[in-house]
Amino acid sequence: MMGVEFYQPTTLEEALKVLDEKQGPLKILAGGTDLMLDIRSKKYPVAGIVDITRLSELKKITVEEDVVKIGSLVTFAEAASSKLLQERVSLLAEAAGVVGAPQIRNQGTIGGNIANASPAADSVVPLIALDAVVSVASSVGFKEVPLHQLLCGVGKTTLAPNEVITEIKFKLPSPNARSGFVKFGRRNALAIARMSVAILLDFEAETIKDARVALGAVAPNPFRSTELENMLINKSAGEVDVEEVITKASQVVSQVLGSRPSAKWKNPAIRGLMRQALSKVGIV
Amino acid sequence: MSEKKRFKAVVNGQPVELDIAPDLRLIDLLRDHLGLTGTKEGCGEGECGACTVLIDGEPVNSCLVFALQAQGKDILTIEGLGSFDKLHPLQEAFLEHNAVQCGYCTPGMLLTAKALLDKNPHPTKEEIKVAISGNLCRCTGYSKIVEAIAAVAGKEVKE
Repeated sequence: MMGVEFYQPTTLEEALKVLDEKQGPLKILAGGTDLMLDIRSKKYPVAGIVDITRLSELKKITVEEDVVKIGSLVTFAEAASSKLLQERVSLLAEAAGVVGAPQIRNQGTIGGNIANASPAADSVVPLIALDAVVSVASSVGFKEVPLHQLLCGVGKTTLAPNEVITEIKFKLPSPNARSGFVKFGRRNALAIARMSVAILLDFEAETIKDARVALGAVAPNPFRSTELENMLINKSAGEVDVEEVITKASQVVSQVLGSRPSAKWKNPAIRGLMRQALSKVGIV
Repeated sequence: MSEKKRFKAVVNGQPVELDIAPDLRLIDLLRDHLGLTGTKEGCGEGECGACTVLIDGEPVNSCLVFALQAQGKDILTIEGLGSFDKLHPLQEAFLEHNAVQCGYCTPGMLLTAKALLDKNPHPTKEEIKVAISGNLCRCTGYSKIVEAIAAVAGKEVKE
């Protein structure tokens, strides 16, 4: 690992300048829990590491006019313990609370989870369900990209090397909304999700007026299933045919996985996971 | 080869200042440069928690942290938890409850437990289990470790 430079900018402006001017390839360091291992295993060539952990402007969770803004450097531990997220966006707080283990949650960040684009990224599943938009900065300015467009395959994003994720935004779910996150792993802690479901239902009186169901670790990136969502919308909790939804979930997974070896167990597993997800929002 | 960088931090209450390679891991700084070999490397990939140290009071895996990320911070390793003459109450409890067999996971377990009790002095058993879920033990078993931590949680913790 000879010759790796280490830059520690203290402002976003300075970080963007480093990314533009210093000898590449450069890698952005946020939490570093994946980056350290990738660099040590020489997964890709690195000439410099740009440690952005000192950019305190990217560490806040705020709400402005019903839009939640999460700084890209917010750690999983911070997201999991945020009162706002626990009370109003529980699917995200719950997902952040089951990433890795406490040590990983103290280091790993929401922005890093997105940038790494793992199919199993826990916090990305609820963010997809929330239709999150990602703010991206570079020396030429800011832009906003819907999260589902930013992710484009296993470990792949549309981010250019000189671009930094600064913020993740989504509409604050209504006070009547119910949501949750469930994950299936080999053990409770430290296990990479073998499959996960994030669900968000918004109620008007007794009727579900909006439903979001996102699945993780099924496709190359987490995705929303409109088929499943349509089976929930405009129904009351009692009118939802739970068995039908569960069967559909299993079909959705089959369609994506095709004849992959994991289809054999993921198919029955999604049935249990979907039932758990529905019970989190009071449907079962 | 890139130049060495000046590293400054407080380790176990003592100011530390030295020149290091930019890509040095925190665990290697602690063990190889500062001689603090109580921090153990298990898996080297953030799965086992043996290398847990506290940075500004929060447990992290020192194998996943570049030393320069800890620049200017307060680092606590097992050497700073108690002394040979005066063990930390958690260390006493681990001995009393036979919560140490091979001892390899113990430094990380103790530091994780300290961080928990600093924030939450009276955790439930479930909270203790969640707190140490990132620290693997392969021989003692978790029951005695949880009992030891719970025993300290019932008493007043003195530094």
